[in-house]
Amino acid sequence: MSLYELLRGPLLWLAFGVFIGGMIVRVVLFFQLSTKKDKPIYRFFSWKWLWLSIFHWIVPLNETAKKNPITTAVGFIFHFCLLVTPLFLLAHGVLWYESWEISWWSLPETVADYMTLITIGCGIFLALRRILLPYVRVVTTTADYVLLGVTLAPFVTGYLAYHQYFDYYTVLILHMFFGELMLVVIPFTKLSHFIMFFFSRAVTGMEFGRRRAPSW
Amino acid sequence: MAEETAFDPKKFKEAVEEKTNARLKMWLEICAHCGLCADTCHFYLANDKDPKMIPAVKGKRVLEAFKKKDKIDEEFLEDFYWTVYGDCTMCRRCTMFCPFGIDIATITSTGRGLCVSQGKVPENLVKTIESYYKHGNQMEVSEEDWIDTLQWMEEELQEELPGATIPIDKKGANLLYTVNAREPKFYPMDISQAAMVFYLAGEDWTMSSKGWDDTNLAMFAGDLKAASYISQLVRDAAEELEVKRVAITE
Repeated sequence: MSLYELLRGPLLWLAFGVFIGGMIVRVVLFFQLSTKKDKPIYRFFSWKWLWLSIFHWIVPLNETAKKNPITTAVGFIFHFCLLVTPLFLLAHGVLWYESWEISWWSLPETVADYMTLITIGCGIFLALRRILLPYVRVVTTTADYVLLGVTLAPFVTGYLAYHQYFDYYTVLILHMFFGELMLVVIPFTKLSHFIMFFFSRAVTGMEFGRRRAPSW
Repeated sequence: MAEETAFDPKKFKEAVEEKTNARLKMWLEICAHCGLCADTCHFYLANDKDPKMIPAVKGKRVLEAFKKKDKIDEEFLEDFYWTVYGDCTMCRRCTMFCPFGIDIATITSTGRGLCVSQGKVPENLVKTIESYYKHGNQMEVSEEDWIDTLQWMEEELQEELPGATIPIDKKGANLLYTVNAREPKFYPMDISQAAMVFYLAGEDWTMSSKGWDDTNLAMFAGDLKAASYISQLVRDAAEELEVKRVAITE
């Protein structure tokens, strides 16, 4: 089995398995522990404050966004491109079709190309923030840089592969490897905010909501 | 009681295990270290924007303590003590501005709880907690002094408003009025002024001979056992007097 076939087949299954399974385990563990030791969540449970809290932060409708317009804009564009580009990339769509004969709408290639560059640009901005602002530098750990690197690597290699810079096969292998690596680390690191964001926003939204003090 | 305990890594580990909950674990893990909490903290602003004062750093200190468990040493504990008691007032302002809603105040409070397991609580807070256990209020006001103060205030009040009263232990009243123990101790006039408002508003109210201090300084100490004991005092008084509501002083 070639390296390509390995990354395209069993390792991709493994990556998706760890990613999805890991997320499910995180959610199950949260419920298991919280029903025992976080009684206030359930005692003051409120769908209203849960949704309001998530809504006000999933779109920039909060004081922090107003006070930090540039960081907020970069953060939102970064997350948007990060999620949308790989899901609606034509080349990825072709792979899904090859394997499962399923297909969905895809982005025009030029748009996807720019979105890739924007993602990388936003990533560089976030890295510079870490380096230049003393109050971000002080909380920054090596893991923060590594995880930012792991997140950006699939985009950088994807860009290089699309434009066929350097040795195409090597770049493609690296692209697949980093893409799968990113999925795998999500459940085990701070990147788990992919799912835990919703839980954290929900519990804090309800905690402030029951005091009629919106947390945004 | 807090002061009887001393440096004891085993107890620290037990406290860590007892206090670990799903929210805390989640918060300590997902913090993206974005630094957006910096400007929201008055300690950061008041210390010439010292980066070490931002809420995320304080949260990280508690995370360290949780990871260390019984591997703490006295030097770490001393430093940790000053972080959780000295650098955060648990005002929750950063929580309101955190994109994830990470509650640093609750994290700090948990950190203080870890200090309680080592007997590391500010001396004045320890004294007030003792007073709560002994007298039911934070200012060592005895029941006799309390009743005397209320009666004295009632007399003063009646000079101005004949017919106005300060009811004590009136069963079935609509409202139980509770105060900060500083009021009978230092500012008793506050009580007669509140009574004046109640009288003119025609409120059916009462004060209680027990469980009348609505402050809870054990909560600031992170001593949750004492904190729930203190809250229970007011609740017991309300239930015994069969009042409909409990009002707390400003």
